[in-house]
Amino acid sequence: MNRQTDVTGSDDARLDRVFQAYRAVCPDFDPSANFMPGLWKKIETRQSTTTVFGHLARNLMTAALALSAILALAVSFVPQPLPSDTYAEILTEHQVRETMSEFEPVRISPISDLH
Amino acid sequence: MLVEFDLIKRARDGDAAAFNDLVLAYRKRILGTIARLIGHPEDVEDVGQEVFLRLYFSLDQLRSAEVFEPWLYRLTANAAYDYLRKRRRRPESRMSDLSDQQVILADAVAGGKVHADEGQKNRVREAVQSLLDGVSEEDRVLLVLKEVEGLSLKELGRIYHVKENALKVRLFRARQRVLKAFASSRKQTAGVSQP
Repeated sequence: MNRQTDVTGSDDARLDRVFQAYRAVCPDFDPSANFMPGLWKKIETRQSTTTVFGHLARNLMTAALALSAILALAVSFVPQPLPSDTYAEILTEHQVRETMSEFEPVRISPISDLH
Repeated sequence: MLVEFDLIKRARDGDAAAFNDLVLAYRKRILGTIARLIGHPEDVEDVGQEVFLRLYFSLDQLRSAEVFEPWLYRLTANAAYDYLRKRRRRPESRMSDLSDQQVILADAVAGGKVHADEGQKNRVREAVQSLLDGVSEEDRVLLVLKEVEGLSLKELGRIYHVKENALKVRLFRARQRVLKAFASSRKQTAGVSQP
């Protein structure tokens, strides 16, 4: 158990030293002369892309709104023949008519006609 | 702080010259951190530009100039993490590449016993990169910020928006994973070197 702790302990200390060595052999990085121009170029590209997409989105939205308005106007001006009764009402009426025909009054011819 | 609060405020308000000065003040430090985080010198400037690009487009959301540095480190950690994830090539077996010789060399460099030449420095870098390649990107970024960059738990807490106790646990686990791999690689190299 102690041996295990020793091994882990020594590895722990060793790992610390390895990280320290890594820090020592990786000094701060000197940027090239192209760093700043390259960065500004990327910023401008991103900005123009954003602007293009922004314009596109705005145009699409305007077109969609205009189309909606035109459709709304078209719907309000063109009279649509709408059914006055619902299906249920028509069905009920039909059924009543059928039922009523069974109780239609018997037509009796006048006596004079028999002669 | 490397700059006055006023400069940060002006940059936040859209002053391009102030933003330029801000980048000039921090770029060397940030690029150094990125270099140690990702370990690929050829990509350091690209990742650095990505950090400052994100800074440019998010600076207006900065609540106060006092939290600028943790904010910048957070952007740096995120950009490095994204880069590492894209580049993901986590070969678990790479741990065995870490030879005892490399560890001894790193040890000697750290102790100042050896004045390392470029070749030796490269070997130390490779050794640590191999070690870090064996853990997740999250563990890697956290460990480098703590163990190599020397950030305190308080600073890390402000970067990650996590309480110190939670960070301690995460760091302990990350370190345990590295230590486990470290020990197993040493065992493997010892096994190979035995006749």
